[in-house]
Amino acid sequence: MLTKRLVKFAIPFAVGALALTACSDDGDGGGGDGSTFKIAYQGPLSGDNVQLGVNMVNGVKLAIQEANESGDYDVEFELVEADDGGEPGKATAAAQSAIDAGVIAVVGPAFSGAAEVAAPNYAEAGIAALTPSATRPDLTEKGFATFLRGVPNDAEQGKAISDFFVSEGVTKAVVIDDTGDYAAGLADVAQSHLEEAGVEVVRESVPDDTVDHSGIARTVTESGAEAVAYTGYYAQAGPLAVKLKEAGYEGLALGGDGVKDPQFLSLAGDAAEGWYFSCPCRDLSTDEKGQDFIDRYTAEFDAEPGTYSPEAYDATQMIIEAVAELGDGADAKSVYEALAAGTHEGVAKTLSFTETGEYNGSGIYLYQATGGAITALGNVTDVVGG
Amino acid sequence: MTINDIWDVFVLGMVLGSLYAVIAIGYTLVYGVLQLLNFAHSEVFMAGGFGGLIVLTLVEPVAAPSGVQSVGYVLLGMAGGAALGGTVAYFLEKVAYRPLRRRRAPRLVFLITAIGASFFLYNLAGKIFGRNAVPMPSAYENKRVLTVFGTSLNITQLLILGSAVVMLLGVDYVVNRTKLGSGIRAVAQDPEVASLMGVDIDKVVSRTFVLGGLMGGVAGFLFGTNVQVFPTMGFLPGVTAFAAAVLGGIGNVRGAMLGGLLLGVVEAFTVDLVGDEWRYVGAFAVLVLVLMFRPTGILGERVARAA
Amino acid sequence: MKATTVSRGKGGGPDMSAAARLRATRWYQQPRWRRLAALLGTALLGAQVTGREGSSSDIFLALKENTTGTGMWIWLGGALLVWVLREFVSEQLAAGWAGVREGARAGASGPLGRGRELWRSLPWVRVAALTALAVFLVLLPLLVTRHWQQVLVDQIGIYVLLVIGLNVVVGWAGMLDLGFIAFFAIGAYSAAYWTGSLPVEPPVVLNNFLVIPVAVVTCLVAGVLLGAPTLRLRGDYLAIVTLGFHEMVYLAARNWRDTTGGTSGASVDRFEIDLGFWSYRWGLDPVPYYWLLLVVIALLIFLFLRLEHSRVGRAWTAIREDEVAAAATGVDTVRFKLLAFAIGASTSGVAGVIYASKLGFINSELFVLLFSILVLSYVIFGGMGSIPGVLLGAAILIWLPEAMRDQVPAQDRFMYLGALLVVMMIYRPQGLLPSRRRRRELEMAEEGAGGADSLGTSEGRRV
Repeated sequence: MLTKRLVKFAIPFAVGALALTACSDDGDGGGGDGSTFKIAYQGPLSGDNVQLGVNMVNGVKLAIQEANESGDYDVEFELVEADDGGEPGKATAAAQSAIDAGVIAVVGPAFSGAAEVAAPNYAEAGIAALTPSATRPDLTEKGFATFLRGVPNDAEQGKAISDFFVSEGVTKAVVIDDTGDYAAGLADVAQSHLEEAGVEVVRESVPDDTVDHSGIARTVTESGAEAVAYTGYYAQAGPLAVKLKEAGYEGLALGGDGVKDPQFLSLAGDAAEGWYFSCPCRDLSTDEKGQDFIDRYTAEFDAEPGTYSPEAYDATQMIIEAVAELGDGADAKSVYEALAAGTHEGVAKTLSFTETGEYNGSGIYLYQATGGAITALGNVTDVVGG
Repeated sequence: MTINDIWDVFVLGMVLGSLYAVIAIGYTLVYGVLQLLNFAHSEVFMAGGFGGLIVLTLVEPVAAPSGVQSVGYVLLGMAGGAALGGTVAYFLEKVAYRPLRRRRAPRLVFLITAIGASFFLYNLAGKIFGRNAVPMPSAYENKRVLTVFGTSLNITQLLILGSAVVMLLGVDYVVNRTKLGSGIRAVAQDPEVASLMGVDIDKVVSRTFVLGGLMGGVAGFLFGTNVQVFPTMGFLPGVTAFAAAVLGGIGNVRGAMLGGLLLGVVEAFTVDLVGDEWRYVGAFAVLVLVLMFRPTGILGERVARAA
Repeated sequence: MKATTVSRGKGGGPDMSAAARLRATRWYQQPRWRRLAALLGTALLGAQVTGREGSSSDIFLALKENTTGTGMWIWLGGALLVWVLREFVSEQLAAGWAGVREGARAGASGPLGRGRELWRSLPWVRVAALTALAVFLVLLPLLVTRHWQQVLVDQIGIYVLLVIGLNVVVGWAGMLDLGFIAFFAIGAYSAAYWTGSLPVEPPVVLNNFLVIPVAVVTCLVAGVLLGAPTLRLRGDYLAIVTLGFHEMVYLAARNWRDTTGGTSGASVDRFEIDLGFWSYRWGLDPVPYYWLLLVVIALLIFLFLRLEHSRVGRAWTAIREDEVAAAATGVDTVRFKLLAFAIGASTSGVAGVIYASKLGFINSELFVLLFSILVLSYVIFGGMGSIPGVLLGAAILIWLPEAMRDQVPAQDRFMYLGALLVVMMIYRPQGLLPSRRRRRELEMAEEGAGGADSLGTSEGRRV
């Protein structure tokens, strides 16, 4: 045991050191001191959703590291982590820490609630906020001057889910969300399209922190539905798939883009077999560029890229290219303008924006888990049409 | 809802509830001897999940294990869970709580220590093992093997029910029939007199923590098998089990078992009739109602009265 | 093992008497070696704590790398050094330490003691010090970066309001409340509702300032509704019931999407004053909110300090220290407990209105259970029952994770915070700045006279 005296000694030192470093907050920055530019990531790096934040920040790190090591650019980049815990209550402080650090552009805010609170602050500072994951549709309708969405909102995908079910001849479907912002929005859209098409819909909500999926599995099997759509994330879809299989469910099962992830296969094991996924993303593993990204990411972080890792990587790369193009004279405003007008061929999708900063859609793709891997079935319109 | 449906849901509730009961015992035992809400017990449960995961990852179960192999894997996993759960509980008591006891600190201070320890432990687990959920390597093929009154049960469900029964009977035996149990009861009744009568309080307290930790650890392994393992997995089952312990009459071992099963069943029915998103509203509504009419829980408090 | 025992243990020969055998300690049971083991264990843990981040796809990765890397050797070396110093050079050190401590004590009792003397005897010193503090607090936001201004308002200011309210419930009336944020949520949703920001329309749309009294009344009613049936429950039972209440309020906010907006939330209008001849809108700049909060906090502290030393405050103390005795001497315990509950709840309601109006946004995730637990730990960390204490506790515990932003990886901050809570409570269980009465209760308990516990549940049963 540490002696009491020792700890008594150590605590004032530790606190003092912290206080000193905190007070020496240097507010230099202002973009280009010499030729180093700071790029911030704002998202949940603590709290319950930390794994999503880690996925994203790793994508950002990888992009920055590769840019610095490649030698293609005359300028250097540096990451600023702005942790908001995914909470709107900490979002302004997190955003402000990034702004005070003098960043040139921001990847984030990751969550819609935090984005709504933080976006006005970024707008005021004139810094582009390119979110890789906040999907709530009305975010781009509120007139946040520098907000860009690097991911499709829920409207297009919800329709795709509905189209696919209808083409498969489904007459009764269960739509499950995780009561979160993203999942509930997507489920709402899917439900309304399905009902329009005359499909009977049972809507269920299973919170993302639920401890037992056997209840919902029973509800699904008892309802006699022919199809299930789950719009949450893979972490919950894994046990859900397992419990559905155990309950003897044999109908169609589909997960949204939050489920389409290699981790889902490992979490669900055999139960993943046959699941469909809708995703506004191209297939990473089949094209060379995507596979290359997976390899590099895995080599760097000893883990496969997770949900939103490629999106964050793409967003960062787009920022890096915009800054590099502008050279030493780049400032927040010119970078925002370059981003808003630009197009970027990313590993997951092609990034470009409409006038309101909305993602310029590039279609929804359908995937299926077969033989322990996720295989691409092509664009939903082709699948449904053919 | 037919009688068959009711029975179906009831069985699901019993499976969930027996896990709660096992965790709740950890809360109630510690409360009995120390009158302390050991909030960090949920992290002991989490540690059990990781303990089982570590052992089974090391062992690497073969693809289609035979019956004997499966039993072996399950026992190994349980042992791993119990070992890590017990270890964490032991050090928790020794490092965090014992100095406070020495100083006779107010009970609210224990609460803050527990919260601090809980933050530390689940973040440490995230740091060491990664923050994503990990599936427990499957030790057996989860088939439906038994049908009771029209409801078929799979192996995981039977395993949870069976091991919960064994553990609950075991702890009841330990508390009521062994020397350690009489020590626990003596300390619960009156620590000062107990120490005058030659009971080594430190030892009793430490072993109580370990006993609760062993069971919490096994419960963690079972939960991991049933769901998955992740650093924050302890929080909600922990809170519910704590509520279960209070519902049964905190400090009362049999009360904790009863409370756990009751809350599990209530949750299952809430999920089935209302929806998964209202799960805890049902559980807490029952809790408040019961406490309004029986302010010290269903069976009343104190370990001593379980005898 | 046996051989070692024999060679090292004193008088531990095979033919020793039964009593001697009982008394004998094996070598590894000696304090010196136990301390070494503890230090080495701490080093192992420390290497993991400060080591690399693990990976879920290979759970052994971090364990392996952190036990083989250089960090491990640094930790082990440090532990050994500490042990050697402690065991073999400790006498010299102790002498030096005593000197230092002597000096420190002389220093402390010198100016500090004299300061306290002055504070008590001279009113003008008190006034001057308080004025200086007030001026400092008013000017504080102008001295820090905008990031810290945001932290001061969004987190510290709001939580300071909350701890003042919770202090009434926990610190003064001695009721353990684990669901305090529920009232905060009710206040915030009142603000959103009455300003017409939620999906459901209110009968009349009110200005944010006018919502404050409405929210206070709403929370008061909610507090009484919750309190009336549950206040006869004692300490821990009350805790779980309040926790359950929190969970219900939170789940209602989360699941009634059509009414509250659920997790997607709703935009809320900000503060605005329009007096006809003069109008002002609060915008994105945090500083005006800071001053608004400062006024509200100062007002509440003033009111609560009066309350503490009034008949009501004394009744609370009586209830806290011994509820049965208080009831026997004619204190209407239920009424006073209810009063404490309602006062705490309405303070929380005020905080909720300001919070929603400052963020300009509200969703259910602002009110998760964790915050109820955190706000309670701020109160206890600072020193229950003492207003300066709880203010300091909240300020420090919120400031610390923000300040650690650049020092440690963001994911690890709560790990360090947790460790700090544990260590702090071991060495200062009374909190940072305990109230005088609490401190005395604790001292008496340490000497074995009565319980330090004022939650009225233990009836002197101490372990």
